[in-house]
Amino acid sequence: MRRLLAVCAGLVLGLLARAEDRVSWEITPRVTAPGQPFRLQIMVESDVVLGGAQFISREIKPPRGMALRLSGQIIRPDSNEATFNFSGVAPEQLGEHVIPSFNLRFARKAVTVPEIRLRVSDQVAYRREAQARAELVLPDRVFYVGELIRGAIRMRGGEDEAVVASYGLESLAEGFSMAVTAERQALPDELGQGLQTTFDLTPIREGVGEFSLNGIMLVQNGEAGVFNQGGRDRPFAFRRRLTVAHVPERGRPPEWNGAIGRFVAEGLQVSKDRPEVGEPIRLRAILTGDGNLDRILPPDVRGDETWDVLPATERRRHAEDQRMFVYTLVPRLPGKLRTPAVRLAAFDPATKTFSRLEFAPLELTVTGNAPAQVDLVTADPAAPAAAQPKAVTGLATPEPNRSSPFFRGSPAGSLGDAQGFWSANAAALGLVVAATTVTGVLGYLAAHPEIRRRRRARAVMRAALAEAEACRRRGDARGLAAAVVRGLQTGVAARLDAEDQAMTQSDVERVLPGADRARLDGLFQRAHADRFASAPPPADAGEADAGLALLRRLLATR
Amino acid sequence: MKTFALLLLCWLAPLAAAETPGAAGQAYARGDYAAAVELWGAEIRSDGVTAARLAALGNAEWRLGRKGRAMVCWERALLIDPRDPVARAGIRHGLDAGGVERPKPTAAEEYAAFLTADLWLLLAVAAFWTTVLCVAVPRLRGRPASEANQWTRVGALTVLALCVPGLWGGRSLDARAVIRRAEVSLRLTPTQFGEPLRGVAEGDVVRTERPLNGHVRVRTADGKTGWVRAGEIEAVRGPGLPADLDQKTAP
Repeated sequence: MRRLLAVCAGLVLGLLARAEDRVSWEITPRVTAPGQPFRLQIMVESDVVLGGAQFISREIKPPRGMALRLSGQIIRPDSNEATFNFSGVAPEQLGEHVIPSFNLRFARKAVTVPEIRLRVSDQVAYRREAQARAELVLPDRVFYVGELIRGAIRMRGGEDEAVVASYGLESLAEGFSMAVTAERQALPDELGQGLQTTFDLTPIREGVGEFSLNGIMLVQNGEAGVFNQGGRDRPFAFRRRLTVAHVPERGRPPEWNGAIGRFVAEGLQVSKDRPEVGEPIRLRAILTGDGNLDRILPPDVRGDETWDVLPATERRRHAEDQRMFVYTLVPRLPGKLRTPAVRLAAFDPATKTFSRLEFAPLELTVTGNAPAQVDLVTADPAAPAAAQPKAVTGLATPEPNRSSPFFRGSPAGSLGDAQGFWSANAAALGLVVAATTVTGVLGYLAAHPEIRRRRRARAVMRAALAEAEACRRRGDARGLAAAVVRGLQTGVAARLDAEDQAMTQSDVERVLPGADRARLDGLFQRAHADRFASAPPPADAGEADAGLALLRRLLATR
Repeated sequence: MKTFALLLLCWLAPLAAAETPGAAGQAYARGDYAAAVELWGAEIRSDGVTAARLAALGNAEWRLGRKGRAMVCWERALLIDPRDPVARAGIRHGLDAGGVERPKPTAAEEYAAFLTADLWLLLAVAAFWTTVLCVAVPRLRGRPASEANQWTRVGALTVLALCVPGLWGGRSLDARAVIRRAEVSLRLTPTQFGEPLRGVAEGDVVRTERPLNGHVRVRTADGKTGWVRAGEIEAVRGPGLPADLDQKTAP
């Protein structure tokens, strides 16, 4: 009995016991050299179907200096197993590096992955030059608020690998503003094969800040080509602690206005060499060099007894590494004048010293006469300055009631846009063209009456032809001859510009050369038989056809 | 003599009235430019647009620092009266001292500025019809054209030929706009996230080309081309008062 109870208890415990998740990992190679790429594989086996994985990359927190990125996962929807592959690059520091425990979240449950340890040793034989690698180029010194720091990520190809692309650049810069200036540029020849991404970094507050950059480069083994598609991702990660300070106040010149870097005062330019008194000209001061050109406040240029200085909009040129300060100068006196001094100071972060820059003034010849109310001649130096507000130069006094009889209208739309303007003009033009055409045609017909006469003659001939054919059908030889002769006389008269009744056989011969005279005589005699005493000659069989053919020939003649 | 004096008085009275500055002019004179803008705006809405009123409004807008609105007023004043002295002085002042940029007028535009676009068109239409009638009337009457007719025909054709560059220049002057926003970027593509090429300042006059996708392709005074959003510019040819860009459109 006791044995039976023990067996039953064992079975019940077996049923109640919960199967645990099994997680295993493997790093290849197990011990790496500093900066050596490695692969991490994590295998999960659970007691339930896991479903899809979520947020894998967010959960994992690699240690400082280590780059790690999920490169693939194998999860079947009906399976309780999952495999994750990561590609990574070992940190530069020797020793053991620990990836803290993290959760793998699946659709059904979360599985905890224990700590993963990677040993970095300098005893491992590894040739860094053989494989592709990323390098961060950033000065190693104290930075200053407002400074422009130029940095770059150089993705250099190795002897066995080439860098063909990069993507997914992410940055985290506390207390800095960052702007990528050029992406995926080819490396200079002396650095070998690879790509480069450059960026500008500007510290915006004092203190120690963390700057991290992550990204992925696509590397290819052997020669790149259309048949070699075996590229794979390789992550890179950089983390730096950057120290930022304010530009020192000690030794700071009063004209310093934010310039940090090394600059050169290229010179001054004026829009006109010989202005008149009171004529505004533009003064451009061109500053070049390496530094925070965009953040420099324009130097203050004060007017004096010879020049009025007005603010002007400056145009910045980013591409040419230069900055242009623009001022509008108005000469107040004639003669040879020197442009006002433009001075500024710059702080060099490398030497930590200030330097002064001055643009060499230009000498201009101002023409014209001095106005009567020049202040410096009559002004008392002890009197309060600017007692009267100076009028803005250039604007004329408004005259809102002025009107001009010729210049009226609205700026909203021109006459050409008015509805119906062009259609009315087109319709009127069409009418004029139609009337002119009709008038021209009628005038031509009036000048050429033969056109109408021939048209009428053709109508008469067609009627005579029809009548002759009718007479032929009913055997009326005399009627046929009369119809044919009438048609011939009308047609010939229209040709010869004569009267119909006056036309004879000879006239018909003139118009229709080659006509048979004997048949014509017979036709005319039969047609006019009532005018003659003697009986007409009997008609032969072919006379009717010949008469009709003659009439058709005349009708066809143009 | 008495009658003559009365007539002279009647003739001079409107001139004297015209010289008296109105409430807007007085506000402008004492430096209350906001009130001047309000009053001249109301005057334009009630009494109609004239070049002088628009130019005066432009001056007041400029004094308030609204470069875009001022340039629109002056440019529109010049559309009505190309020789309005106040508008011309205002634009010259804006170019010389105000940091505003404006495309240099072409030869055709300089020529077109001699008259307004409507006057050029009227002149061209009149010359055209004179030519047409000089050709058509003798034909309709069936008589040869007289010598006077021939001279009229030549004169009308000459006027028509002289109008062609004026019409062309007027058309080119109409295809301009004023930048109305303070921070406007010239973009490479007519898209929301188009790459900014460079900035253009409020009040700058640009030449407009084709519109696309809510943007307009423009050419700046220094010849640079790019796209700006349609709401960031206001066409020179438009209703009298500058548009109020901050006003919400009705749903």
